[in-house]
Formats: sequence, structure tokens, C-alpha cells
Amino acid sequence: MKIPAVSFQSLEKVYRNVTALKDLSLDIQEGEFFGLLGPNGAGKTTSLNTIAGLVKPTKGKVLIDGLDAIRQYRETHRLVGMMFQDIILDSRFLNVHEILVYHAGYFGIPRRRAQELANELLKRLDLWNKRTARVQELSGGMKRRLMLAKALIHDPAIIILDEPTAGADVELRLLIWKMMEEFHEQGKTIVLTTHYLEEAERLCDRVAIIDQGKLLVEGSPEELMKRQNQQHLEDVFLQLIRDDSV
Amino acid sequence: MIGFLTLFKREVIRFLKDALDTIVPPTVEVALYMLIFGLALGPRLGNIEGMPYIQFMVPGLILMSIIRNSFLNPAYSLFQSRWDGNIADLLSSPLSASQIALAIILGGVVRGIIVGTLVFVATLIFASFSISSLLLALGYAIVVSMAFAALGCIVGLWTKGWEGIGTVNSFVLDPLVLLGGVFYSLDMVSGIPFIEPLTKINPFTYITEGFRSALLGNIETAMFGFVLTIGLGMIFLVLAIMLFRNGYHLKS
Ligand SMILES: Nc1ncnc2c1ncn2[C@@H]1O[C@H](COP(=O)(O)OP(=O)(O)OP(=O)(O)O)[C@@H](O)[C@H]1O
Ligand SMILES: [Mg+2]
Repeated sequence: MKIPAVSFQSLEKVYRNVTALKDLSLDIQEGEFFGLLGPNGAGKTTSLNTIAGLVKPTKGKVLIDGLDAIRQYRETHRLVGMMFQDIILDSRFLNVHEILVYHAGYFGIPRRRAQELANELLKRLDLWNKRTARVQELSGGMKRRLMLAKALIHDPAIIILDEPTAGADVELRLLIWKMMEEFHEQGKTIVLTTHYLEEAERLCDRVAIIDQGKLLVEGSPEELMKRQNQQHLEDVFLQLIRDDSV
Repeated sequence: MIGFLTLFKREVIRFLKDALDTIVPPTVEVALYMLIFGLALGPRLGNIEGMPYIQFMVPGLILMSIIRNSFLNPAYSLFQSRWDGNIADLLSSPLSASQIALAIILGGVVRGIIVGTLVFVATLIFASFSISSLLLALGYAIVVSMAFAALGCIVGLWTKGWEGIGTVNSFVLDPLVLLGGVFYSLDMVSGIPFIEPLTKINPFTYITEGFRSALLGNIETAMFGFVLTIGLGMIFLVLAIMLFRNGYHLKS
């Protein structure tokens, strides 16, 4: 059997008094385009942030390519490129280009190479003419582009995007999907969360729907629509969430 | 190693780009102390430990700047990264918890040594003071700045607001430093109630005395302060690394 790219094993997370994840078990296979879906507060960000080392699980494990994401974080972090839901940029004294070069440096990429990679990504993400700008001079969508560039600069095998298209204009949305489809074709694993269910339906090989920290269903969009007897993934989603809350 | 060096460089660039707020003020402040206490009042105090008062002040002033600046750099840098959220970049990188802690601490060491050097140069305008053993002095300064940079790291993790750092600086570090023989020797306060016992139990007194001896090239008398600083530094360093490993105030 193949080792999953990402494996959540009986994951539980309790913040002070909120239970964000309850016994979540989910495998994402290598090369999959995977959508993690669920309403606000379902626990999507919490589960993804355990991979990034920002959230300590209360119970359970997260494995990346079979490696423990908590104990072997130095290896697993190298494999993962993460675009956080919140805009997080080292913006006080670095410009756009420098932010990328430093970020690459944290991943062990030598300065010369990092500069080349930063240039490529800035051109590709249409930020080239903003390369010497301060973050404060960027629009919201431009900041998201920069966040995406950070996630991609060390050429990760597993790309994790937490609501990459929130606040993105049509052009950026299309660009993100196009890039992700290309990475998908190259065999990379892509995990994303989104509230645009028609896009998830169209793009994802498989999706999981979670609510209140529990896994409700997983499968390909077609399977789920068939099983629930619905025309659209969005209707599957609404039905399941409604059933779950009663 | 590249990751570690990148973060170290970031920590140094952060304060260098802001030199007007980080490096210039402590140098000017010390020049003022020299002017007022050294030049204006000093001659009335006569010789202390065999040297004019203005010369006696120099090591204390350098040490004070080193302690303060090596402390402030990690404290503010870390809290800023927590506040802005970009600490997540480091936590999700392949850098280990101890590499992150050490790179940030080393940034503080560099600031402490740069400011310490500039302060020394500034004091030369007012008093002649020659360092007899540069190696000993530098070694001592590095150990001191390591210790207080590690403390700054701890405070930068612990504090829940910007004020916390200023509070520790003004209500803990400054009093300890000022009551630790920067401006006076133990002999000068003998018999003075409150001040003498406070000075005697204050570990900073021995750190300052040791540094003064180190600058004068007196290894034997420098030893006690040196060992004391190393001990203190080890405690702070281990604590800082442990807090980073546990994700204290870093991970939820
Ligand atoms: N740091 C935290 N401290 C306390 N509670 C938290 C924290 N982070 C998240 N929570 C809680 O955990 C639950 C799950 O939050 P999470 O951010 O994982 O949801 P999400 O599925 O990403 O939602 P959204 O679609 O709104 O981004 C929520 O009830 C939230 O209030
Ligand atoms: Mg979220």
C-alpha cells in the first residue's frame, strides 16, 4: 500500500474550552487534488495548522509521507508549502522581493538561487513591478499573491492552501486554479480549503466535508453527488450540514 | 545552516535599518552621562579605586549599554513577530526550535557588541581609557550579551503586550544595573543604609566589577563576575530554548 501524503490519525484538538477537532481521521494520497470543505469554524484551519506546526494536537497524529509532523517537523516542513488563511508577511522592514528571498533562506536555499526563484515567481504572479514595494503599498489581492509565492518558493511536494481565493479577483482566482492544475499534472499533492463549492466540484479529485471538528463524508465529488442524490456539490454540502446540526 | 544564518541576518538587519532608534540613542545617552557626571561632577569625587571618577565610570556605562541593547533586541523582535503573526513563517519552516532561539539571541549579541563599541568610542571623547586586554574584554562582553539576549528572548515570549518589555527594562533591569555599581564602587556606599546591602546582594555589582577588571586586564578579579555571568547565561539560555521547544505563547 502506498503511504499517504497527508494522514490525520484520530486527531483531536481542544482549545481551552472549544473542541475544534474530534477524532478526525483522513488520508490524502500522493498526487491528489484534495478539497477540505466545511462551514466557518468547522476545523479546517486547525487541522491544516497542525501540519505547519502552529497547532499542537491534543490527541492523535499527523503524518506527512509517513513522517510524524510533530516529532520530525524539520523533515516534514521541508515537504510542505503552506499558504495560511490569514495574511502573514514579514513586512516591517523588508520589501516584496526580500520577503521571498528570506523566506527561501529559512528553507535552506542559497541566496543567489533564492533571488532567481523569487524573480521567477514574482513574474509569474504578476508582482514583478511591485518587487521593491513595501507590503503596506500592496492591495489585498497582491498580498495574497505574495503569500502564494512564499508557499511555492521551495518547490514543495505537498501544497496546502487555506482559502487561497478568499478576496481574490476573477483573474487571480483563475491564475491560482491554473497554477494548481499545472502542479497537479506534475504530480504534486494539493490540499486546499474553499467556500466556492462549484470550484471544488470542478477541480478536486476528492473532497472531505467536515463539520464541528468531525468528518462527515469523503469521496470524489461525483460519488458524493450520486450518493446523496444531488446535482451539485453545494447541495450535498448543505444537506449534510443541515442533517449534522439536528 | 543557511536557514540559521538567514534568520540571524534578518535579526541584525532589523535593527541596523532602524539605527536612529536602536543604536544612536544609547550612544548619545552615555555621552551625556560622561558630560554631566564625569566632566562636571567627577572632579569633586576625587579618585576611585585608583583612577579619576570619569575613568571609573567608563566600564559601567559600556556594560549598561550592552545589557540593555542585547536584551531589547530579541525581546522586541520576537514580540513583534508574534504580534504581526510572521513568527508562523519560522515555525512552519525546517528551522529547529533551538536554531530559531539561537539566531534571535545572536542578533541581540551583535546589537549589544555594536552599541557597546560605539559607547566606548564615545567615552573616549571625554576620558582616556585604554583597554589592556581586548580579548578578555570582548569575551566578557560577549558572554554578558548572550546572557541578556537570552533573557530578552524569554521576555519576548512571555509578554502579552509591548508594555511588558518596557516594564521589565525599567523596573527590573535598570534598577539592578544602576544599583550594581555602574556609578559607584562598594566602598563609596559603605555604611549607607539600604543602598549598601542592596548593592552587596545584587549580582550585577559583581558582573560590573568583573567587567571593569576585564577591561583593565585583571584576570583574577574578573573571574568571579565572569563565572557568575556564565552561570546566569546558561540558565537563561536553557530556559529560552525550552520555551521555544514547547511552543510557549507561540503555538496554540
Ligand atoms: N487559537 C484559538 N483559540 C481558541 N479557539 C480557536 C482558536 N482557533 C480556532 N478556534 C476555534 O476552533 C474552531 C475551529 O476553527 P477553525 O479556524 O479551524 O475553523 P475553519 O474551519 O478554518 O473556519 P473558517 O472557514 O471560518 O476559516 C472554531 O470554533 C474556532 O472558534
Ligand atoms: Mg479557516
